[in-house]
Amino acid sequence: MSLPRAAYDPRRVCVIPFPIVPFMRHKRAIGVYAAGALFAMAQWLFLDAAILSAHARPPPDAPYDEVPVHVTFVDWVPGICSTLGMLVVNLINRERLMGEGGGLSLGGWGEGGVVWRARLFLFLGFALMAGGLAGSVTILVLKYIIPEWPDKYEYYGVANVAQNVCIMLSAVVLWLGQNTQGEYEYRLAL
Amino acid sequence: MAAGLKTVILLSFVLAVGFLLVILSCALWANWLPLLVALTFVLAPLPNSLFRNCATDDFGAADYAEGSGPIDLGHFMTACIVVTGFALPLVLAHSGVIHPMACVMSIVGGGLVYGTILSYTAVFRADPDEF
Repeated sequence: MSLPRAAYDPRRVCVIPFPIVPFMRHKRAIGVYAAGALFAMAQWLFLDAAILSAHARPPPDAPYDEVPVHVTFVDWVPGICSTLGMLVVNLINRERLMGEGGGLSLGGWGEGGVVWRARLFLFLGFALMAGGLAGSVTILVLKYIIPEWPDKYEYYGVANVAQNVCIMLSAVVLWLGQNTQGEYEYRLAL
Repeated sequence: MAAGLKTVILLSFVLAVGFLLVILSCALWANWLPLLVALTFVLAPLPNSLFRNCATDDFGAADYAEGSGPIDLGHFMTACIVVTGFALPLVLAHSGVIHPMACVMSIVGGGLVYGTILSYTAVFRADPDEF
């Protein structure tokens, strides 16, 4: 008596295996495209708020009132921080990051080692992105929610938070997309 | 070859309709900002075509699975430009610079132009592989 041959990968995690998507071969390209789209969407969300603020007029029934709040340079700072952080995270060489050191004289965890420096820069990049997100929430609360402007003006702050969330998502998607080994796994699955 | 000729005629017709829509969206309201959309969509395939050969090694074999920075940059910039093309008229219409109808017309026209470019490259890149 013999058991039927297993048709699945014995290293599987789930009882029901994930279906192999036919366009898995283009996984990397799709990830990068999605990251670019998210990044552009983030910037345009904020630019929308900025352009809306630049064209804001007082209501027609009170034409001599001043528009109470505008998008100023303070609102630009979190987005600039997030974008810089994304740049830093993606400029790091992945192989340096994964190395456990010991073999090469320069590698390893020693003071000034390559892996140590790569992880320091990775930390700096993520800190810049998280700082941008935190800064955008701070601006939303301090500049737009606490003074209780009408909803029309709170949109500026909400757009700022959405921009930073989208930039972070874009960095994550880009990271995941570039770390897949599409073609190799695909060939194995065949 | 008749099929190829028909494709070319159909694609050029769609391209003309797309440009007609974009130019109408500008001219009907005498506001020529939506013309930027046509420019954006024409520029969209540029990064990919610039970086296409960066994945090939000395033997001419494309090995994208290993990962290629320039190719990724091209894809990233393409996606950015395409999203810009769709977002620009929306943002302009939201802040009241252009008429909402002009926004719809320029988006549809830009989509037609970009679809034409995409399908043109897809149709005529497949041809050399068959021989």
